[in-house]
Amino acid sequence: MAETLNLDTLSAAQIASGIAAGEFSAAEVADAALAAVEAREPEVQAYLQVTPELTRAAAARVDAARAAGEPLPPLAGVPLAIKDNMNLIGTRTTCASRMLENYESPYTATCVARMLEAGCLPVGKANMDEFAFGSSTESSAFHRTNNPWDTERVPGGSSGGSAAAVAAGEATLALGSDTGGSIRQPASLCGVVGMKPTYGAVSRYGVVAFGSSLDQVGPFGRSVSDVSLAMNALVGAGKDPYDCTSQDCPVDFLEHLNDDIAGRRVGIIPAFMEAEGLMPEVKRAVELAAEKLVDQGAELVEVELPHLDAAIAAYYVIGPAEAFSNLARFDGVRYGYQEPMCATLAEQSSLSRAHGFGQEAKRRQMLGAYLLSSGVYDKYYYAAAKARTLITRDYAAAYQKVDTILMPASPRAAFKFGEISDPTQMYLSDMYTISLNIAGNGGISVPVGLGEDSQLPVAVQLQGPAFRDRDLLMFARAVERGFAGADGAPALSVAPGFAGKGGERA
Amino acid sequence: MALSENDVRGIADYARIALEGDELAQMTAYMNDAVDILAPILKYADEDVAPTFHPIGDLVNVMRDDAVDAERALPLNAALDNAGSSRGRMFRVPSILGDGGDN
Amino acid sequence: MKELAEVLKDWEAVIGLEIHTELTTLDTKMFCGCKLSHEDEPNANVCPVCLGLPGALPVPNRQAIRSIVKAGLATNCQIMKHSMFYRKHYFYPDMAKNFQTTQGPIAFCMHGHLDLEVTGRGAAERPACAFGEAEAQSLASASANAVGLSTSMSAQMPEGGTAGAPAHMAGYDTSHLQLAERHDDGSYTVPIRILRIHMEEDAAKMTHLGGEEGRITAAAESLIDYNRCGTPLIELVTEPDLRTPEEARLFMEKLRRIFLTLGISDCSMEHGSMRCDGNVSLRRRGETKLGTKTELKNLNSFKSLHDGLAYEICRQAEVLEEGGIIYQETRHWEPSRKRTVVMRVKETADDYRLFPDPDLAPYDLSDEFVDECRSELPELPDAKRARFEASFGIKRADAEQIAGDPETAAFFEAAAAGLSGKEAQTVANLIVNELVAYLKAAGSSLADSGLTPAQVAALAKLLASDAISSNQAHEVFGLMAESGDDPNKIVDARGMRQVSDTGALQPIVDEVLANCSDQAQQYRDGNQKVIGYLVGQCMKASRGKGNPKLFNELLRAALS
Repeated sequence: MAETLNLDTLSAAQIASGIAAGEFSAAEVADAALAAVEAREPEVQAYLQVTPELTRAAAARVDAARAAGEPLPPLAGVPLAIKDNMNLIGTRTTCASRMLENYESPYTATCVARMLEAGCLPVGKANMDEFAFGSSTESSAFHRTNNPWDTERVPGGSSGGSAAAVAAGEATLALGSDTGGSIRQPASLCGVVGMKPTYGAVSRYGVVAFGSSLDQVGPFGRSVSDVSLAMNALVGAGKDPYDCTSQDCPVDFLEHLNDDIAGRRVGIIPAFMEAEGLMPEVKRAVELAAEKLVDQGAELVEVELPHLDAAIAAYYVIGPAEAFSNLARFDGVRYGYQEPMCATLAEQSSLSRAHGFGQEAKRRQMLGAYLLSSGVYDKYYYAAAKARTLITRDYAAAYQKVDTILMPASPRAAFKFGEISDPTQMYLSDMYTISLNIAGNGGISVPVGLGEDSQLPVAVQLQGPAFRDRDLLMFARAVERGFAGADGAPALSVAPGFAGKGGERA
Repeated sequence: MALSENDVRGIADYARIALEGDELAQMTAYMNDAVDILAPILKYADEDVAPTFHPIGDLVNVMRDDAVDAERALPLNAALDNAGSSRGRMFRVPSILGDGGDN
Repeated sequence: MKELAEVLKDWEAVIGLEIHTELTTLDTKMFCGCKLSHEDEPNANVCPVCLGLPGALPVPNRQAIRSIVKAGLATNCQIMKHSMFYRKHYFYPDMAKNFQTTQGPIAFCMHGHLDLEVTGRGAAERPACAFGEAEAQSLASASANAVGLSTSMSAQMPEGGTAGAPAHMAGYDTSHLQLAERHDDGSYTVPIRILRIHMEEDAAKMTHLGGEEGRITAAAESLIDYNRCGTPLIELVTEPDLRTPEEARLFMEKLRRIFLTLGISDCSMEHGSMRCDGNVSLRRRGETKLGTKTELKNLNSFKSLHDGLAYEICRQAEVLEEGGIIYQETRHWEPSRKRTVVMRVKETADDYRLFPDPDLAPYDLSDEFVDECRSELPELPDAKRARFEASFGIKRADAEQIAGDPETAAFFEAAAAGLSGKEAQTVANLIVNELVAYLKAAGSSLADSGLTPAQVAALAKLLASDAISSNQAHEVFGLMAESGDDPNKIVDARGMRQVSDTGALQPIVDEVLANCSDQAQQYRDGNQKVIGYLVGQCMKASRGKGNPKLFNELLRAALS
């Protein structure tokens, strides 16, 4: 048995196989993970709630199963961070909002249940932008989360806590949700792999809704193969009878992971590469990634998405409209913050919502309530639904020519806290991610190293057709392979300021 | 046409979000900025295409059997414990004063 | 205030109904697997979905969709293959999500109609001036400027108009819509168009405490029970084709009989599983512009529906005749005080922010799905009534009442099978009079009563053959219901069998006439009524066993 158990250098598969082989126990993994959290969390603040009892209880189940000679599930003993908009019995689900500060999960989300059934150890609930409204995790009502690569910078968002936990080695895998880039953008800023599967591949049941037709749950990991394992756990059991929009997606995401991509066609959108606001180091990273794919035999093909100009506008119509609707239920009656001493219901609802929600949550709901109002609906929401058809067709046409499209995930590396204060400017940090959610297709952010200028993680994004998420992982693996070091390890691993810290046993 | 503070107050009343102090002015400014960003969508209102409300391809008619799901039913305490106020087995709200609903 | 009859001579009442029916015969709620029950303790049947917990998602109940399709087929609606669920937003805590999941411009069922047969005294409510050309103009102008739906999406209504049809008939199959025509007996048949039947979910039940009579306005606090929240609910909206309170009441009765026959609801108005709101406006006869309408709530019995509308029509007429104006408002019918009072004034149309529910997949119902529903339709009340009239020869009114309740109809058919026309009518009489009264007094349902069709058939035979009198039949009915015995056994055991042998009865008649010479003389002098007294004396003398009809005949013969 190893004297020290360094989870920073172990993949999810290695943790599971190490436990299965008796090299170490799940309880030891739990201890090591919790020790790492204890040592690193003060500087990162990735979590809103750490759940040692749940971590150790899950570990005990894995160890008991092994002791009983039962076969272990594929992610046995793998530490998992869970975005705090996902219900898990035994935890609060706060959505990083005062509104739900004391909300105890009455049930468990399907995605969380599936990860736990696959053997994961729940370490805690990860910080996020309040109700997932944001791109920096700064709108959390409780505290900021620091980017493990530079703690003066944001981790991105809204799944910033999930991305930071994985980047800092405070979890091996994490779950996030992506409505307009909320997995891919923080993954890019934190130097980890983050995948937004095709809409419907993963159940949304138990995940507090932001934009119901845009939201999709997906995994973070430090390698494409870890993310593929998580995808198997999330998707493998088939569609969820509790989510009408979930669909069967019967594939093994590991099966073709390391396939040769020779002869496959990779799309580049020229307009994206010349877009205003795209930092040169990110542009060079995408160009370099393209070269690495060509080196492996892929063919580059230029494609266009003619209605892309409508994507951001469509997103900021559909997102707030659905958010207004989904957040209407927070009135302080059945759950959530309730303003004390109100004489009337109207007063109680209005003040509970005014004081329970943060500014951005209120802004989005107000905008949504306006956009759905009589007369306005036709001009904006209905128009956005039509634009959605055109954007989806654009993608379908592009995928007649290419197998995947390569582009930036974020126009720039991590920015400093407070650097972008205008909400409408913040919206533009999703310029490369949003159109995917409009169409409902899958996408993934893959780190390619540190930016030449910023010395911060930069990443590329790969997008693919609906329900071709397995191919997407294959292309992501090809990018990862292209940037791998001499030892074959991905370009980036746990952020250097945190690697090894607290993970060792005394 | 820009939204006035009066328009925004009306929306806030409807959405049950009390705007206090200078929040009304700030919200009005924000909403007008946001609506400006949305201008590119206006030209799609007259496009001759069917709208997409669900990004789920051809998925239709998703239904379940009419069978009791006892497993998911919540025990009373799980239902009430997150409520700000309750009485006996019921959720409690203060005086409604004839406001709101008509069903 | 003037009487209704007087008001309706000068004013035309334009009435539309919105009828909500809970699908109580299902096992579970609309979008989750929670048990449906009117009886359980508060908040016993709740789950993350119907409590609107963050993260919960709806999944529709297939059986509820089948039920609404059947409701549409039974009311001559078009079944719309393509439709969606929408979210209708309003902040009120009886809706756990602060939106109701309902349907948008296209409902599962659109553009149907029911033919309403208005007979008897109620038919007089529609005055003679409201037939013929006047009626045609009235219909066209009423629905052309009626507001069907308070949605913001009228622009997206399906085309669907019948080519060449007038605008107000768009979507309707006009070949089945005939104008009302009055028959000599005053009765008439009028088609009532149904705009739509859509699927939605019911709200929670609220209890208002601390106010007067549980009224909401003065309550200090309210308590919420979410057991009912999410109950599958279908809402039927009529066109404003009704012109009298009686028509409204008959429409509701007819619809209730159809829904009961379909087996989709217990249709209890008392328990609120079937609820009706009425919209009513007045205009001068001949006027084409509609008046301002008020919406009436709490019309929770057939009587309330009729009387509430009648009151409101008379109230509006009084206001208008005094030069006042009608405000668009919601009014509450108070049956105890026989008046309507204002609940709230609608200054502007409500803006419910409707949009398609992204959590629910759209519908593309297949022909197979609809055909399967159609194949499961039972014989509907009108057809059943016609068949009962034709094959059993029973009276129309009895046939209508019996056919309207599926359990009673099945009971009648079993009892009347193989009987003569006279016997079948006697079965019908026993059901309409004795059975209904007995069940009501016993507080029992037909199924729980233990009564069998064979018992009622045997009793009908006894009665039809004059073996027992009506009075005796009443007594035997009670006895056989209590004991479960065959009525023949009861009649024999109690020696109740009626004597219909003239030879045995004639001596009694002779004796009575001898003893009552005064009355006999009165009869001969032209006082026909006195015969009743004499029959009574004969019955008494025969200790109740003589056939009263025969006594009557023998007396008259003897005195003529």
